[in-house]
Amino acid sequence: MKRITAYSLRAVLYFILIAPLLLFAAYAFSTRWFFPQPFPVEWTTITFLRAINDSRTLSSMAQGIWIAILVSVLSLMLALPAARVQGLREFRGRQLAWLLLFLPTIIPPLAIGMGLNILFLRIGLAGTIAGVVLAHIIPTLPYTIFTLSSAFARFDENYEFQALALGASPWQIFLKVTLRMMTPSLVVATLFAFLISWSQYLLTLLIGGGQIITLPILLFSAASGGNPSTIATLSLLFVAPPVMVIAFTARSLSQHDNEIREQY
Amino acid sequence: MTTVNIISLNKTYPNQPVPVLKDFSLSINDGEMIALLGPSGSGKSTLLKLITGIERPDSGDIQFDGSSILSIDPNKRGAVLMFQQSYLFPFLNVEDNIGFGLKVQGASAETIRGEVKRMLNLIGLPGIERRKSGQLSGGEQQRVALARALVTNPKLLLLDEPLSSLDTSVRMNLQEAIRNIQRELGVTTIFVTHDLGEAMAMSDRMALLLNGEIVALDKPENLFHRPRSLTAAKFMGVSTFLSGDQLTVKNEACSSSEKIFAIRPEHIRIQKEACKNSMLGVVSDCVFRGEYIEYQVDVNDVTVRARMPMPAPMFPHGEQVRVNFPQEHLFEVN
Repeated sequence: MKRITAYSLRAVLYFILIAPLLLFAAYAFSTRWFFPQPFPVEWTTITFLRAINDSRTLSSMAQGIWIAILVSVLSLMLALPAARVQGLREFRGRQLAWLLLFLPTIIPPLAIGMGLNILFLRIGLAGTIAGVVLAHIIPTLPYTIFTLSSAFARFDENYEFQALALGASPWQIFLKVTLRMMTPSLVVATLFAFLISWSQYLLTLLIGGGQIITLPILLFSAASGGNPSTIATLSLLFVAPPVMVIAFTARSLSQHDNEIREQY
Repeated sequence: MTTVNIISLNKTYPNQPVPVLKDFSLSINDGEMIALLGPSGSGKSTLLKLITGIERPDSGDIQFDGSSILSIDPNKRGAVLMFQQSYLFPFLNVEDNIGFGLKVQGASAETIRGEVKRMLNLIGLPGIERRKSGQLSGGEQQRVALARALVTNPKLLLLDEPLSSLDTSVRMNLQEAIRNIQRELGVTTIFVTHDLGEAMAMSDRMALLLNGEIVALDKPENLFHRPRSLTAAKFMGVSTFLSGDQLTVKNEACSSSEKIFAIRPEHIRIQKEACKNSMLGVVSDCVFRGEYIEYQVDVNDVTVRARMPMPAPMFPHGEQVRVNFPQEHLFEVN
């Protein structure tokens, strides 16, 4: 009985996750699919190929990926020291520091975006990739810091002391010991940062000012335009990288998992 | 080969009123194994941290072969620390773990392979290069950790309770192994422990630590048989101290009333017959321990603990007995 419940719950979950994608696929590969028809009558790849070969689509995807990669790297670099201190040290004001680090998840992005827009306009960062990357880092930081700090809370500094006593320099320790021990959490944190940046609409629009076009921007404008096939195609393109990234990390994490399981 | 001089070290951690180390001095000869014995909080581990450079002393100096190491970076001091846990890097196999120190110091792959092989033979575990640390038993892990520490040819080996997480049998085995390897390589070693037996079995000299100060420093056999101070004697398992206030035996054992005499529990005799230096007591506890019987006898409101080697008579609880302090085993402490 328990197993049946588990299986049916699973089936429901998969349906909820996959059904919208199937619907998108149906829209993307068909034309003139109207209300009373339960399934599309005419199948075609023309809209899909047209959208894919559109230079605007391709460049927006490339730009989005490029921004997401930059955001992931910078967000990790900023998060590592903060997470280390939050995870390993006890100090007065630690709770306050947590609150400050988590503020971006509480404060509406619109408020941040408006203020940043004015600031970035003044210092010439508005409408640049650098500006958008900096803006994207704000919502990603709480996630990267939290993921890494919980890993640091489980981390034993004696591994580093051991390496130090064996003659490793601080950089060698960081690269050969600390990062290696943190790999699973680093992968998860990167994933968070990448996905948050990739799907960011509001901050890209506000800071990019129409000059930085990522896929979400294109998707929103298409959505207001109203061609269901184009919307569906762009949506499929929009979910493709996240799905690939998640599949890749799940695999590498499970490999790492096995490695760890071997040790205990 | 290294002589180590620790001179007047002082260390107080921030937010702690009491110093961890107070004017701490210790000289260690080349190739010597010194055991630091003390309860937790006595400053043992702090001393090791100061030597490796994980912490910095407030004042004082640490010298290897006469020159100060305080200004040298921790990773260049040549003082290698081994902890209670092995801290083998879980993502590396045994060979890469042992070779870690050589690799970060830039040794060639060939040298590393040869040295790792030599160390594995030395620790008695040849042929386990490819294993991961998780596939090793606790004792094997500590052996590999020892090999990893020694492969860099350290000036000073620091062992921070390396055996306390192991089972008794493995522990005995590893005590001998560490002792033999240390002698064979002649590496100067500081061994921190809170286990008296282990400290005596392992060391050339023992330092007894209490509240950041050395209360006694001598060969284990000297400290065991004739500790000079009351504190040292208590460290070494002596619990019976005789003076005019507690036990009248003083009148027979010595002449001056200010002196305190001590006796090891295994030298006290519990018997029926009265004799010189004996006092009347009542047995309050009698435990059979195999090699000896452990007695607690109430003498004039003071509990005297005695260990009678087998074969020995067993007196039941409440029995009136004579507690005999043989004169030749009484020694003066101050």
